[in-house]
Amino acid sequence: MKRTTLWKRMAAAVLSSALLIGAAFTTQYRADAAEVSGKIVIAGSTALLPLTQQAAKEFKKHHPKVKIVVSGSSSIAGPQSVAKGVATIGACDWDATRAVGGFRAYKGLKAYKIAKIPFAVIVNKNNSVNNLSVQQIQDIYEGKITNWKQVGGKDEEIVVINRAKGSGTRVNFEDKIMDGHAIKTSGDNYKEVQKSGDMVNAVSSNPNAIGFVDLAYVKGGIKAVSINGVKATTANAASGKYVFYGYGYLLTKGEAKGADKAFINYILSKKFQHGSLKKLKFIPVK
Amino acid sequence: MEKRSPDWTDAMNLLTAHRQSRWTVKYAADRFFRFLCLGSVIFLGAVLGAIVLFVSETGFLVFRDVSLSEFFFSSHWDPEHGKYGAAVFIAGTLYLTLLTLLITTPISICVAVFIAEIAPPWLRQWLRTLLDLLVGIPSIVYGYLGATLLIPWIREHTGAPVGDGFLAAALVLSIMILPTITRITDDALCAVPNEWREANYALGGTTFQMIVRVVLPAAKSGIVAAVILGMARAIGETMAVVMVIGNVAQWGFDLVTPSSVLTSHIVMQILNVDFQSTTNHALYMMALLLLMISISLIMIIRRLRLKGGSS
Repeated sequence: MKRTTLWKRMAAAVLSSALLIGAAFTTQYRADAAEVSGKIVIAGSTALLPLTQQAAKEFKKHHPKVKIVVSGSSSIAGPQSVAKGVATIGACDWDATRAVGGFRAYKGLKAYKIAKIPFAVIVNKNNSVNNLSVQQIQDIYEGKITNWKQVGGKDEEIVVINRAKGSGTRVNFEDKIMDGHAIKTSGDNYKEVQKSGDMVNAVSSNPNAIGFVDLAYVKGGIKAVSINGVKATTANAASGKYVFYGYGYLLTKGEAKGADKAFINYILSKKFQHGSLKKLKFIPVK
Repeated sequence: MEKRSPDWTDAMNLLTAHRQSRWTVKYAADRFFRFLCLGSVIFLGAVLGAIVLFVSETGFLVFRDVSLSEFFFSSHWDPEHGKYGAAVFIAGTLYLTLLTLLITTPISICVAVFIAEIAPPWLRQWLRTLLDLLVGIPSIVYGYLGATLLIPWIREHTGAPVGDGFLAAALVLSIMILPTITRITDDALCAVPNEWREANYALGGTTFQMIVRVVLPAAKSGIVAAVILGMARAIGETMAVVMVIGNVAQWGFDLVTPSSVLTSHIVMQILNVDFQSTTNHALYMMALLLLMISISLIMIIRRLRLKGGSS
């Protein structure tokens, strides 16, 4: 009995390996004719997650041989995962190859600018203030202006809401609006929130609050104020008239190769930039 | 043993193929099961040990860059400028826990007394089911309710500009741990022998006297264990707290100033820091502190349980 099972097993093994090798040859043959293969692992920014997810979905259709895993946790996780070799592509809300917002520069990575992201300074829907200058926003976040009266609103104390240190949106806010001025991070009229959604909740539930989010989040109980008299719209951000915008980046270890390169090229293609990317309220860079 | 369905696993095939007696097979199975259990225990121990080891190993790295006294006694938390004083978070955690217990303990004990001693049986069953359900609600739901209902209410009634702070956090936590403390206290009360109650009545005592003089003192160790379990839950709670406390590294003893505790600060920052940075190490050190607090609480509970059992 023992012997027969052994024979059976050997036969099965031989047969299956023959099949496997045969299959490998045929697929190899087909692959050569068609396209790239391999595995892409994307990690990093949650702000860019809808973009990378959509791109992955479409890319897979064109390149069924490529396996793509997409995840999002935080911007800094993008360059870190790539540097550590955990991911092949890192998504980040800033160019991580230079030092920004208290983070070191990641040497040896290559950054690809894939999209322009419009941001908005938001206030409660019932706030009468509709326009703030960059100077006024700086003063509010520095603690120099503390009452809405000082910027043409009601006689109420301003509640300053900020994202946690290291948030990609906050890095862009500090870069584009604060311009080197330090945010005053204490007081009974100041608080920090974890995510963009929390920011929206906090501002929509407090009539005297001010905060900032991606423009795509502006709806419901909040409104985006004009900055320097320019309305917060994607068109104005695209033309550069509206100053509060940032760029989304994909990072690879050294120059992108193989499947990674094909994927980045797909995101940068006219078709994706002016199709899905625009639909997701990002602004094309090509 | 002989008549079995043909789809046996390979392992059992091997065992039966050797034509051994029933006794040997049984013995082998017993031995196998024993090793399986022992292996599971060793695995669990190794995982727990690895967690403690890893957290402390990373955590202690912080003291390469930060002095012990700065970390524990300075309240200046500003990693960007090299200040790593965690006193605000440590004191905040203790303060919040104390506040929560002050609110919850009396209410929980009263509810438990009502359930165990006063309520009619049908209501008793209903209340117990309700409390068990409340324990199962995810904490983020409590946090969300706190952020949307409680905070505007606090703002309106205290005049605070933000409303986030220890008051909101303590109220949310109180609601969260109330079912836990109540149910365990309830069990402790029910464990008091009925003869003691009857003896009270026989001596002419009222129900109130019976509860205060007989049942509560008799269930004391169980009640203390319940409070400590609730406390452990309050200390470790993260998601609900992070949504209502304001997350600012500053003192908030006046209850309505946004502040921060160990758990909320860790969850706010852990994703946003460099793996190798001092900030990351400081966060791990804070996690280790939490772990130590939890472990010591559990040890206290074990102590109490042992005492309760022997007396």
